[in-house]
Amino acid sequence: MAAAGALFDQVLNGLTIGMVYVLLAAGLSIVFGVMDVINFAHGEFFALGAYFALSVAIATGPGGFWVALLVAPLLVAVVGAGVERFTVRPLYGRNPLYHILLTFGLVLVIKDVVELVWGPQPYQFAKPPVLRGTVEILGYGYSVYSYFVVGVGLLIAVGTWLALTRTKYGLIIRAGSMDRGMVRNLGIDVDRYYTLVFAFGALLAAVGGVVIAGRQSVSPGMGDSVIIPAFIIVVLGGLGSFRGAVVGGLAVGVVQTLVRSYVPVLEGLVVFLLMIVVLLVRPQGLFGNPEWAGADEGGDLLTVSGGGVFDSTLRRRAGAALVAAFAVVPLLVGLPSYYVNTLAVSIFVWALFALSLDLVMGYAGLVSLGHVLFYGVGAYATVLVVVNLVPSLWVALAVAIAVCTAVAWVVGHLSIRVSGVYFSMITLAFAELFHSAVYKFGWTGGSDGIFGGFDPTYGLVGGPAVRSIELVGDVELFYYVALAAAVGGYLLARRLIRAPFGSVLQAIRESEDRTAFVGYDVTAYKRRAFVVSGGLAGLAGGLSATLTGGVAPEFLAWILSGEVIVMTILGGMGTLYGPMLGAGVYLVVKDVLLSLTNAGSPLLVALGEFWQGALGLLFVAFVIFVPEGLVSLPETVASRIDRRSGGGETIAEDAEVSD
Amino acid sequence: MSDDDPPSDAARPADRASADVDPLLRLENLRAGYGETRVLDGVDMTVPRGEIVALVGRNGVGKTTTLRSIMGEVRPTDGRVTYAGEDVTTLGPVETVRRGIGFVPEERRVFPGLTVEENLTVGSYGGGDAANRRSIEDVFDAFENLDRRRDSRGTDLSGGEQQMLAVGRALVAGADLLLLDEPTEGLAPLIVERVADIVREANADGVTVLLVEQNVAAALDLADRVYVLDGGRIVYEGTPEELRADESVMDRYLGVGV
Repeated sequence: MAAAGALFDQVLNGLTIGMVYVLLAAGLSIVFGVMDVINFAHGEFFALGAYFALSVAIATGPGGFWVALLVAPLLVAVVGAGVERFTVRPLYGRNPLYHILLTFGLVLVIKDVVELVWGPQPYQFAKPPVLRGTVEILGYGYSVYSYFVVGVGLLIAVGTWLALTRTKYGLIIRAGSMDRGMVRNLGIDVDRYYTLVFAFGALLAAVGGVVIAGRQSVSPGMGDSVIIPAFIIVVLGGLGSFRGAVVGGLAVGVVQTLVRSYVPVLEGLVVFLLMIVVLLVRPQGLFGNPEWAGADEGGDLLTVSGGGVFDSTLRRRAGAALVAAFAVVPLLVGLPSYYVNTLAVSIFVWALFALSLDLVMGYAGLVSLGHVLFYGVGAYATVLVVVNLVPSLWVALAVAIAVCTAVAWVVGHLSIRVSGVYFSMITLAFAELFHSAVYKFGWTGGSDGIFGGFDPTYGLVGGPAVRSIELVGDVELFYYVALAAAVGGYLLARRLIRAPFGSVLQAIRESEDRTAFVGYDVTAYKRRAFVVSGGLAGLAGGLSATLTGGVAPEFLAWILSGEVIVMTILGGMGTLYGPMLGAGVYLVVKDVLLSLTNAGSPLLVALGEFWQGALGLLFVAFVIFVPEGLVSLPETVASRIDRRSGGGETIAEDAEVSD
Repeated sequence: MSDDDPPSDAARPADRASADVDPLLRLENLRAGYGETRVLDGVDMTVPRGEIVALVGRNGVGKTTTLRSIMGEVRPTDGRVTYAGEDVTTLGPVETVRRGIGFVPEERRVFPGLTVEENLTVGSYGGGDAANRRSIEDVFDAFENLDRRRDSRGTDLSGGEQQMLAVGRALVAGADLLLLDEPTEGLAPLIVERVADIVREANADGVTVLLVEQNVAAALDLADRVYVLDGGRIVYEGTPEELRADESVMDRYLGVGV
């Protein structure tokens, strides 16, 4: 009896969490279904709901909880409407990737704003007395609050379902999620509904945030912790399917909770495994319908082709000069060690990482949201080899590359079969799977990672330690190793892209079907690109671990996947040097912002503390206004000047095409 | 376009036609394309009020693009679209439909997850100022097949039923001019007949029709007036009888050996 009671208690707990997931996933799923927008900022709406509730409850005093439960979600809905109107709207008609990027930037901004307003410390939210305590059923006590959460969730889910199926708005929104273009062809301005849908999604997430605030503390990271499970649920249930979000949310909540108490080894892993299995068996998710995934309005990835205003000789010379400068300047000028051995080395490492991503994203059109997988696995492999087998850096890096290509081959085999958004999600799931897994084992160092005993050497078996060799002044030899890796990676990638292999990849990016009709095995080509990319990312990870002097689970955090995508877009996808440039600019800007915290003026200090938000804003502006990245700037500027001075031909505007 | 050029007197058939009819829709020198590719190279044609007009031609000559330019799904690079005396060239699909143009696209595009009745209901929320507007019950009266399948989902319908639903949906949204893109495509001969009847019935009720067809025989059976499109231009205009008699045009532009 007691066992049954405990089981029921766990199920109730699972349903409680599951209901919160339902609230999150329903909004995400509807927004995706109608607008094709993958909203990473959805978790931040959830967090905002909790924070607004906190402030509202404090302001209104006793009974504040109930006021907050009503008011906070409405406030968040207003924020959501503003976000849609001013940032999401300009991007309709582009590839869904740009919404991922945009909302990733928004995550950084909102999170920093929250920290700025409410501070980094966690808050406890006082529940009203009615909802405290337990109810006793068959001699076992159950939390009243859990019943409350399940009740609120049920009410809202049923309400949403009725609104979707029984109202005019609901019907138009459902029709829009199946075929937006056709809704327009009936004379219905479906775009007018987007703000409403987005705001409604934000409202649902905010309700989730408010009710969870009564169960756990409110902190700035709470959005991060739910967004990935929420995505998994949406993908599991089927993108755009409300039913899928409900079933998926409840199932994930219950499975997660039961696994935590009965099979703790699998905690944190089971959800990702579940998603991977579902996607492999039924790529469209449990309730998704592949036929509904509208073929309309895909929108192309905005890649840069050619060199713009600079011809290739000039660019080659500029590149060579830059590399030469990197090689010589540190030896001649006495730069502080930090700039050479830390900042510059991280730029080389991230340039290599961004380059690896660009190979698959910019050339093959595969938007990998889990590229950190290879970076992290490379880092772990390097450290593990040095600590457990041989101390040689060369052996360790070679193993890292080998392991990552193997992992990429397997992951590629499983994930390249699904396309578009599903590919992005399945790569994200694989990365998160590994991220959760490294916490589990002793040999990976658990949550502490591995820092002691990692002392790689330059020899094959022994020799001088990597970080001990200084050349001139403070310049370490490792600086040149990283530089050589970045340049070597670039040359390898360039060789590949200029070979027929590269042409086929670009053909695939432009039109997968046509490339297949010509007779190329599209999947095999994509997989090969993915394997090469995985190897390069693994090398970057290995070097990064060497720079850091160890490895920790943060090397596998999804936020790094986001950062490397940001760098790639910032620089300009589809050129090999663009993403590398983007990595440099990103890290330098970040470094400058961070250094402001030591500045004299309080305003600058505040800006320094807001560095993530500032980067986020910069990035949002880039996605909206300069989607082709930094490398497209000279050309844009040149054509502006050209037009203003009246020289040159008028640029013919492309006919607007909606598919 | 070199030796395939039509004789110069046929180059502006719209002028000739407009003299003696009340044009509901007029295309003048319409040019459009996708990115760098030009598809329409100066299309001139007139759809007189109350008629059924067919636009025929081989695959890839620009028939669908013509319809999409009228709808505003493709923005013309040059030329003019006039509907009921108003310049609608730059209007998007929503505004175009609201002026009374109904669209039945290629492959019908019924909403797959909605029931027959819901599909029609969405249509009833749309549209605008058309004088001809059917109620959902009118459509069910006219198409007893659909009436029987009210609660079936769009995906569960046969091709013919989907076509009826798509036409019904456009009529419910209100259409004085109905644009039909390949209405008989993929349908069995018996169903083609049924669809033709539907188009005739709608026409008899006052709906002007412009249909695009590859199935020349079906189009000629139905139409009052035929335009032949080739290489992005109108190369022939006439009645179905005239076209049937003109072996050289049939052979040269339609690939139909007579």
